[in-house]
Amino acid sequence: MSTRENSYTEAEALNLLAQLERILDLDPLIDEVGFIHPSQFATLKEEIGDSLSLEDRVHESTSFWIRDHKLGISTQILIPVYKAAKHAFISALRQYKTPGNFSGKSQDDTLAIEVMIHSKALLLLSCDFATAWNSRKLIVSNKRLLPILMDELHLSALVLSYSPKSEQAWSHRRWVINMIARNCSTLQWIIERESELVEKIAERSKMNYRAWNHRCWLVSFMTREQVLDELKKSRNWSGLHVADNSCFHYRRRLMLRNLEGFCYTQDNNSSGYFVETYQIWKEELDWNESLIKQYVGREALWLHRRFLSMYLIKHMATHLLAVSCQSKPKASVDIDIDSLMDHELCLVHSCSTTIADANFEDFQAQAIHSAAYMLWLTKQIPEYQGIDIQEKLRAGVGDVTRMLKRSCPDRSSLWDYLVGYHSEP
Amino acid sequence: MGELAADKHVKYIISVEKKKDSFESVVMEHLRLNGAYWGLTTLDILGKLDAVDEEDVISWILKCQDESGGFAGNIGHDPHVLYTLSAVQVLALFDKVDILDADKRLDKINVDKAVEYIVSCKNLDGGFGCTPGGESHAGQIFCCVGALAIAGALHHVDKDLLGWWLCERQVKSGGLNGRPEKLPDVCYSWWVLSSLIMIDRVHWINKDKLVKFILDCQDMENGGISDRPDDAVDVFHTYFGVAGLSLLEYPGLKPIDPAYALPVDVVNRIFFSKK
Repeated sequence: MSTRENSYTEAEALNLLAQLERILDLDPLIDEVGFIHPSQFATLKEEIGDSLSLEDRVHESTSFWIRDHKLGISTQILIPVYKAAKHAFISALRQYKTPGNFSGKSQDDTLAIEVMIHSKALLLLSCDFATAWNSRKLIVSNKRLLPILMDELHLSALVLSYSPKSEQAWSHRRWVINMIARNCSTLQWIIERESELVEKIAERSKMNYRAWNHRCWLVSFMTREQVLDELKKSRNWSGLHVADNSCFHYRRRLMLRNLEGFCYTQDNNSSGYFVETYQIWKEELDWNESLIKQYVGREALWLHRRFLSMYLIKHMATHLLAVSCQSKPKASVDIDIDSLMDHELCLVHSCSTTIADANFEDFQAQAIHSAAYMLWLTKQIPEYQGIDIQEKLRAGVGDVTRMLKRSCPDRSSLWDYLVGYHSEP
Repeated sequence: MGELAADKHVKYIISVEKKKDSFESVVMEHLRLNGAYWGLTTLDILGKLDAVDEEDVISWILKCQDESGGFAGNIGHDPHVLYTLSAVQVLALFDKVDILDADKRLDKINVDKAVEYIVSCKNLDGGFGCTPGGESHAGQIFCCVGALAIAGALHHVDKDLLGWWLCERQVKSGGLNGRPEKLPDVCYSWWVLSSLIMIDRVHWINKDKLVKFILDCQDMENGGISDRPDDAVDVFHTYFGVAGLSLLEYPGLKPIDPAYALPVDVVNRIFFSKK
């Protein structure tokens, strides 16, 4: 990096900060920020042409670029502007917090506005500067008006445009939503928009833990209809991102949420609810199987299957028992654990035979995943299941274990334990 | 197998401490206290804590303390529990915990409620997410398992199930990832490894291969360790790489406590000095 950045005077730095803050003020619709090397500026400036707009005024600047609500900042000025912004912010915050400065409402507002302006500039340069986020929360919680809260969502979305993993930005959104939650009419619409925002960000920031965690958090605000709707809507995306474990975890979260709802339903609708829920699980299993066959060797798909079959066998089987005794007419589904297990063992077997293609990493991975899945089933099947099932499982286990120890020797101790050769403390 | 370039790493850490004018270092100034913990603990494990000026460090840390008693990431910032933890840990390294007004102790925290919350973050795969319903993540698992260990509540963990999930983090190269389908990263050598040790399942991974992976992540010329071979180094990964090697009993390193993430002698010093 050039040494020019060290030779900005304080006055020059303040000027740059003022320019940035003016740009942010004049265009409240800026939705994307990027940092550009000075050498690329010349090229970008040429593209602007003869427009009579904000772009025109910024045209003279060698430090900022703006087009279609996208803001570019030269990397050369980052340090001086950051320092100026930080200094201005800290000084404004100190004044705002000093008791005695709350004498008149207008003075209070002026100081608050200063803090908001400087914190915004600062956060664009240092998105995890927690003190700046905190100050905005402090000021906004004194107002709590919807447009102001929406502004906070806009700012954090702007930050996420260049820093999609910023925990401070995601956490700020949750704080704002909790504030908005007291005004119920907009909440559902906001939840939907948030869910879409996460999907958009997840598209270019794969397996972004914080983004998906945020989406999982939204589920607790969703109605049952929304939950089922989300499952439907997000299916296509998941099918196109089969290596993204986070999106399948999100589906599990939705399915569990739906199940929770069922557990609390005690009325006559419960058997209908149960049938619908069972169908959702069955469909998910079938869809998962088609993906497993199409996308060979994908760990996330097999892990999803572990969850699905375990839940179906362990939990829903007992529910069926309870519901079918109570409901009239009788529940029209028949969970036949036996045939379910037969089906799973068939699937495992079909994946294992491809071990002949062991030269291809994907096929080898498929064989390992399916074998581990089978051992998972042996561990998860409750003891009270029929003898037939236990025997079927035991029959296949020997081969599977031998294969696993050969192709995945790093985990020999685990494989031995799973088939009961050793016991663990 | 390669070797641990200990001297180079010490030099690297000292140089980072001095160089505060790059943009990266400037925008991370709010978490400098975390950086101090990573850098100084590494030096201690390598037996070189005396390479820094103790007075300088401690006086700076105390300037980070807020009137609430909590510590900020740097002077003038808001306090936060993360930086408070780092402050206490660094003071512990220098055996200066007693200069704190030790008003906040374990008995002031509702440990049962804390354990309850942690257990509510447990998932069906045996792992822990960062909030109830969150995806299992090796870093979160370390925090939860470590906290349960400290609270004497490890019986809440299904050790076999979690051990299985953790050992599946080891990939072909021998490195560990933090979640399924992700690339290996040296920092997981700490989080996954310490979790496995705390639940007695570390024999479920191949330790030799992991050692080799960590050593391959070193910058043998300039010092420091990166997240994976040939990437740029930083203090964060240097710390976790060295700490991971210590857990793997690599020769010449001070042993480190898997739950407290501090050298064992530092932890013992604190416990033995309690009345």
